[in-house]
Amino acid sequence: MIARSRRFSELLLVVLAAIITAGAYTLTALGRTASLPANIGPFLGVVLALLLVPHLANRVFAPGADGTLLPIAALLNGIGYVVIARINPDLAAKQAGWTIIGVGAYVATLVIVKDVRELSRYKWTAAAFGVSMLLLPFVPGVGRTINGSRLWIRAGGFSLQPGELAKIALAVFFAGYLVERRELLAMATWKVGPLYLPEPRHLGPLVVAWMMSIGIMTMQKDLGSSLLFFALFLVMVWVATERTSYAVIGSILFLIGAYGAWTQFSHVQTRVSIWLDPWADPAGKGYQIIQGLYAFAGGGITGTGPGLGDPTRIPEVQNDFIFAAIGEEYGLVGGTAILIAFMLMAGTGLRIALRADRVFEKLLAAGLTAIVAIQAFIIIGGVIRVVPLTGVTLPFVSYGGSSLLANYILLAILVRISNSTAEKNGEVVRRRKKGAPIDPAFEATTAVPVVPS
Amino acid sequence: MNRQLRRLAVGLMACFVVLFVQLNFLQVVNANALKRRPDNTREIIRDFTRARGTIYSADNQVLAQSIATDDKYKWQRTYPLGDLFSHPVGYFSLKYGTSEVENVFNDVLTGRTAQQELRDLGNLFDAKVNTGDVYLTLRADLQQVARDALGDLEGSVVLLDPRTGAIFAMWSNPGFDPNLLASHNLAKADGARALYLLNKEQQPLLARAYQERYMPGSTFKVLTSAIALDANVVNEVSDFPAARAWTPPLTQTPIRNYGGELCGGTFRRVFTVSCNIPFAQTGVDLGATEMVAGVDRFGFQEPVPIDLPGAAASFFGTVADFDQDDPRLAQSSFGQNAVQGTPLHMAMAAAAVANGGVIMTPHVLSETRDSGGSVLTRYDPKPWRTAMKKSTAETLTSFMTDVVNNGTARCCMKLANGMQAAAKTGTAQLRGPTEPGGESSHAWIVGFAPAKDPTVAFAVFVKATPEVTAGVGGGIAGPVARTLVDAALAVGS
Repeated sequence: MIARSRRFSELLLVVLAAIITAGAYTLTALGRTASLPANIGPFLGVVLALLLVPHLANRVFAPGADGTLLPIAALLNGIGYVVIARINPDLAAKQAGWTIIGVGAYVATLVIVKDVRELSRYKWTAAAFGVSMLLLPFVPGVGRTINGSRLWIRAGGFSLQPGELAKIALAVFFAGYLVERRELLAMATWKVGPLYLPEPRHLGPLVVAWMMSIGIMTMQKDLGSSLLFFALFLVMVWVATERTSYAVIGSILFLIGAYGAWTQFSHVQTRVSIWLDPWADPAGKGYQIIQGLYAFAGGGITGTGPGLGDPTRIPEVQNDFIFAAIGEEYGLVGGTAILIAFMLMAGTGLRIALRADRVFEKLLAAGLTAIVAIQAFIIIGGVIRVVPLTGVTLPFVSYGGSSLLANYILLAILVRISNSTAEKNGEVVRRRKKGAPIDPAFEATTAVPVVPS
Repeated sequence: MNRQLRRLAVGLMACFVVLFVQLNFLQVVNANALKRRPDNTREIIRDFTRARGTIYSADNQVLAQSIATDDKYKWQRTYPLGDLFSHPVGYFSLKYGTSEVENVFNDVLTGRTAQQELRDLGNLFDAKVNTGDVYLTLRADLQQVARDALGDLEGSVVLLDPRTGAIFAMWSNPGFDPNLLASHNLAKADGARALYLLNKEQQPLLARAYQERYMPGSTFKVLTSAIALDANVVNEVSDFPAARAWTPPLTQTPIRNYGGELCGGTFRRVFTVSCNIPFAQTGVDLGATEMVAGVDRFGFQEPVPIDLPGAAASFFGTVADFDQDDPRLAQSSFGQNAVQGTPLHMAMAAAAVANGGVIMTPHVLSETRDSGGSVLTRYDPKPWRTAMKKSTAETLTSFMTDVVNNGTARCCMKLANGMQAAAKTGTAQLRGPTEPGGESSHAWIVGFAPAKDPTVAFAVFVKATPEVTAGVGGGIAGPVARTLVDAALAVGS
C-alpha cells in the first residue's frame, strides 16, 4: 500500500511539474511575442511523455522508491529548459535531446543496477574510471579548453564534460572503500585537545584526495569541481567514520591548499578579487557577475515576468548564470522556489541515506546527495556573491548534456537505494504469479522492523 | 552514522538559508541601490521598450505620450506641443535618460510605484497595462500665452497660485524640442543634443526658470522691505531725505539711485519709485545677521523644494561674507552685488506677500492616475516658509499696488476689466555705463493679481541684451506680465 501510494503521489507530482513547465513555457511565449506558442499542445504532450517514462520505469523497476525525487528533478529540468529556450532556441533543441538521453540513462540505470551493493564490487574500476574521466581532457586531440578551463572532450561533434560522470564514479569508489576501511579509519589513538586523531598512516587516503583536488584546481583551473570533489570526500569520510576530526583536518587541509593556490595562481586570485569587489573592473573581469547582480535587482520580488527580462545581457547565462536569469524573470519568488527544490532534493536524499541500513547504500546515498546539494550551493552562491564564482553547472537546470546525463544517473541510483530499503522493510507487496515460488529472502525480511542504527 | 547524516542535513540547510538571505538582499533590500548604479542600463532599456503613461496639462492637453512603433523599441515617446513644455516636462531618451517630469515621475509613468504594483497583482491574468498618467498644474493655454508674450526675448516667465504653490506656467526662452532627443535614431538625437550644448550662452537644455539664478535688482527690495518692516526698523511713513548719492561706511565708492536721480520721501514713496539709497541704508541699519536671517525666512540660500530635479538655490551671502563689508551689505540690500535669485524664487517672494506672508511649496504635480483613470495620488498643498508677518504682507501689498498705479510699473501693468495688480519692477545692473563692455542690465517684474484676494503671482525675467539694457525693467518685463496675468484671470485659474 505504501509503495502504491508513493507511486500515485509521484504521478500527481510529475503531472504537476509538467503543467508548471508548460505554464512557464506559455507565459514566456506570451511575454516575448504576446501570442500563445503555436506548439503548446505538442509541447505539453512531449513533456508529459518524457516524464511519464521514468515514472513508469519506477513503477516497474523501483515500485517502493521515494516518490518526490523524480518530480523535483523534472521540475528543475523543465524550468531550466524553458529558461534556456527563452535565451537561445538552438540550445533548447539540444537540451531537449540531452533530456531524452538523460531519461534514457535513468531508465537504463534502474534496469542494469538491480542492487546497488553490486557496485561496491567495482569500486576500483570506478576509481580508475573516475580518475581517467578527470584526466581525459588532457589527452591531446580529444581535450578542449573552454572558458579557460580544461574540462572538455570533443568527440563526434559533441562536447562532453567527463568530470560530471567522474563525480558519480568517485562517490561509488569512496563508498566502497570506506565500507571496508571505516572501522580502521575510525580508530583513534591520538588525542589532541578536544579532537581524537586517527593514526597518521590512516590519513593517507585523505592526503591523496586532497592532492587530487588541488591537482584539479591547478591543472584544470576548475575551482568548483575541486571544491566539490574534496567536499564529497570529506562528507563521506566523516559519515563513515563518525569522526569529526576528519572533517576538521580535511577542512584545514583544504584551506591551506586553497590559500596556497591563491598565492600561486593568478586565475584563483582573479576569482577571489572579483568576488570581493566586482566593481573594481566592471567592464572586464567583473562584468559577468555584475550583470548577474543587476539581473537579480531588476527582478525584484516577483520578477519581470517570463520572457520580459533581459537575461541575455549576462555572458554564459545558459550555463553558470542560469540562476540569474531565473532570478530576473521569476523574481525572489522563483529563485526561492529553486532553492526549496534543491533543499527538498537534499532532504529526500539524506532521508534515503538515513533509512538505508546497509552501510554501502547509506554512504553512497549520502555522497550522491551531497554532490547535488553542494554543487547547487557552489554555483548559486557564486552567482549571488556568497562564495567566489566557480564554474560548475546548476544540476538539472543549467544547459549541458554531460551534466544532465550524470545527474539523471545519480538520481536513478538514489531511487534504486530507496527502493531496496523499501523492499527490505516490506513496503513493497509484489503480485506473485500463480504457483511461483515465494522469494525466501523477500518473505524473510517482510516482518523485520527497522530500527535506525 | 545517522547522527552525522542529520548534522549534514542541518549543515546543508544552513547553506541554503544563507543563499536565501543573500537573495533577499539582492532582490529586495539592495535592489534599488543596484538599479541606480550608473553602469546599470538595464532599467532604462526595459522602460524604453515598454508602454509609458501620458503626461497631461491642467487644461487636458497631451504633453507627452508613447506611440506604438514597429521598431525594436516598440514605443516612441512624442511631445505634441514640441518645445512649449521642454523644460517642465523634459525628455525620455534612450541615451540621455530622463529629465524633469519624465524623470521625477518615472515610476508612476512606468507603473512601478508600490501602489501600482499592488493593484497590478489583481490584474495578473488580464492584459491590462499598468502604466500611470501624470496630470500637471501647468496649463498649455497659459504656457502658450507666456511664450508668445515673451516672444524673442531671452528669459523666463513663471506664473503660480500663491494660495497653493501650483505652477500654471513656467517658460524659458529658448527651449528645446524634446522630440529630437527622444528620437530612436540615436545619431539624430546625438546631433540635436550637441547643437543645444553648443549654445553655451543660452543653455537651451537648462530649465533656467528654476535651475539658474540671476541678479534680481530692485525686485529684491520686496525682501528687504519685508525684513525691515517685520523688525520695525522702518514703517510706512519713515522718512528718507532725498539724495543723489550715499557713501556707506568703510568705502569711498558712493551708492547712487537709478540713473543718478535725486530720490527720497516716505518709505512707501521710496518703494514706489524704487530709490536705491534708502534700501542700502535700511540694510546696513538691519545689519548682516538680521538680513541673512530674513532672506533665510524667504528660503534663500537653499534649493526650492519644487517637485522637479536640480532646483538652484538663490543666493544672498552669509553673515561672514558681510563681516567688515558694509558696502557689500548696502549693495546687496537692493539686489545688486552678489545677490542672485531664480525666477521661480522671485515669483515665490511675490507670492509670499500675496498669501499673507506664507510661501507655499511650489509644485507642478496635480495628480497621478492609473491607466483606468482612477486617482493614485493627489498633490496636497503644503506651506514651505513663513516669510513675513501678515501685517507686513498687507503693507507691502499696498506698496506694490502703488507701484502699479503711480510708480515704476505705471507704464504697463493696467489690467483688463479694471482688475488691480500689485507689482515690483527691477533693473539689475550687471555693468555700469563706464565699465568695459558697456552698460548691461536684466529686466524684471514680480507681482500678483488681483491685489485683493490674489489668485496668481508671477515673475518675468528678461536677460540682459542691448535692447533690454536700453529700457527699464518695468517697461520691458511689464507688458509680458500684463498679457499673461490678463489671460490667467480670464481663464479663472
